[in-house]
Amino acid sequence: MTSARPPERTETGSDDERPRVYAPDFLTELFRNPLDAGYTDAAEQRAATGGAVRYRRTGFVLRTIALVLAGLLLAVAYQQTVRAKPESTDVRNNLASDVVAGQKEAAELQRSADQLRTQVTRLRDSGLVASDAAALRNLEATVGVQAVTGNGAVITLADGPVPTDPVTGRPDTNPDDFLGRVLDTDLQIVANELWRDGAEAISINGQRLTATSAIRIAGSAIQVDFVPLSQPYVITAIGPANLADRFSATATADEYRRLHDTYGMRVSIDKRSKLNVPAALDSALQYAKPLQATKSAPATPGSASPSPSTTGGR
Amino acid sequence: MWAVLAMIVGVVLGVVLEPTVPLALQPYLPIAVVAALDAVFGGIRARLDGIFDDKQFVISFISNVLVAALIVYLGDKLGVGGQLSTGVVVVLGVRIFGNVAAIRRHLFRA
Repeated sequence: MTSARPPERTETGSDDERPRVYAPDFLTELFRNPLDAGYTDAAEQRAATGGAVRYRRTGFVLRTIALVLAGLLLAVAYQQTVRAKPESTDVRNNLASDVVAGQKEAAELQRSADQLRTQVTRLRDSGLVASDAAALRNLEATVGVQAVTGNGAVITLADGPVPTDPVTGRPDTNPDDFLGRVLDTDLQIVANELWRDGAEAISINGQRLTATSAIRIAGSAIQVDFVPLSQPYVITAIGPANLADRFSATATADEYRRLHDTYGMRVSIDKRSKLNVPAALDSALQYAKPLQATKSAPATPGSASPSPSTTGGR
Repeated sequence: MWAVLAMIVGVVLGVVLEPTVPLALQPYLPIAVVAALDAVFGGIRARLDGIFDDKQFVISFISNVLVAALIVYLGDKLGVGGQLSTGVVVVLGVRIFGNVAAIRRHLFRA
């Protein structure tokens, strides 16, 4: 830094050779005269030696190189900043599209499995006595490997409003444990109550409940047979025509009405006709072994006893 | 005129070549950009003041970029990288503002 003279005066060529002085108040100096001191020094020197602004070829080349570098720097920095974000979003998008593709493939396979199953059923029925075939179908519907259509009830559960922080007014930072939240136990309780009220087939968001179904919470998502569900949870139950009324009259329904009134959990109980409950995903057959090896016991999943279990399956 | 062209050439080169910056150098890029901008605006202002000097410009450009990077590097090693970066940005930012204000006075007389 030279003295605090404004550059206008150096321009006129005042020729007093002052030593370069560093002002004690550096910041004030910086604000007052932000130009690099070297420029004024050089100008003073030129004025002293009486030369005009020198125009040298090397100077020109160097200056041009410096400016090209400055431009390059700007472009590179810009690209770097722009590139930094898309990389993470790219990964995310790729993963999301992978998931979507996987889901599509799974749906396709499921559809073909359903077709093959109906074929198998038809072929089997053609080889059986009519009464046996009907009995088999009833058993299949009970066990859950056959899609079912009929009248029944639809219970819908969804989280209540996320509580807001009273100070900041923003949603609570940890909304996982607020009281209006639907938990796996809620779905288990409702499913069990529906079984007790005479439901014959139940699905939650299109996932059929069977004897081996599990309704569990993993992280913050509820899974039915390891398929993660998202809100709202639509529990479709096929059963007697007055299933909705029966359910509505139970203590369980009262409890959920109370949860609705107190914590804002969204609960609705609707009577519906022509409901459709899909078949369960094929699960590996599990065989029970009799204690005595002399008796052979047939055991497919689901012994058709409608006793409610803790997992909400049948 | 040539100066503007040279900078445009630099930007075009950067866009076309898309040079990848080594990961180790990436933290210094923003600071280097601010330092380079300071040198460029200082040069423009000197030019308008009629005291532009090639040597001074080139040296201030190189030293600005290097010193800024060095300060950030040192700060990173000492564990005060963020604060030192802020310091560099404040000082250079003040200079850029002052020089741009001077350029503005030259160009618009306001």
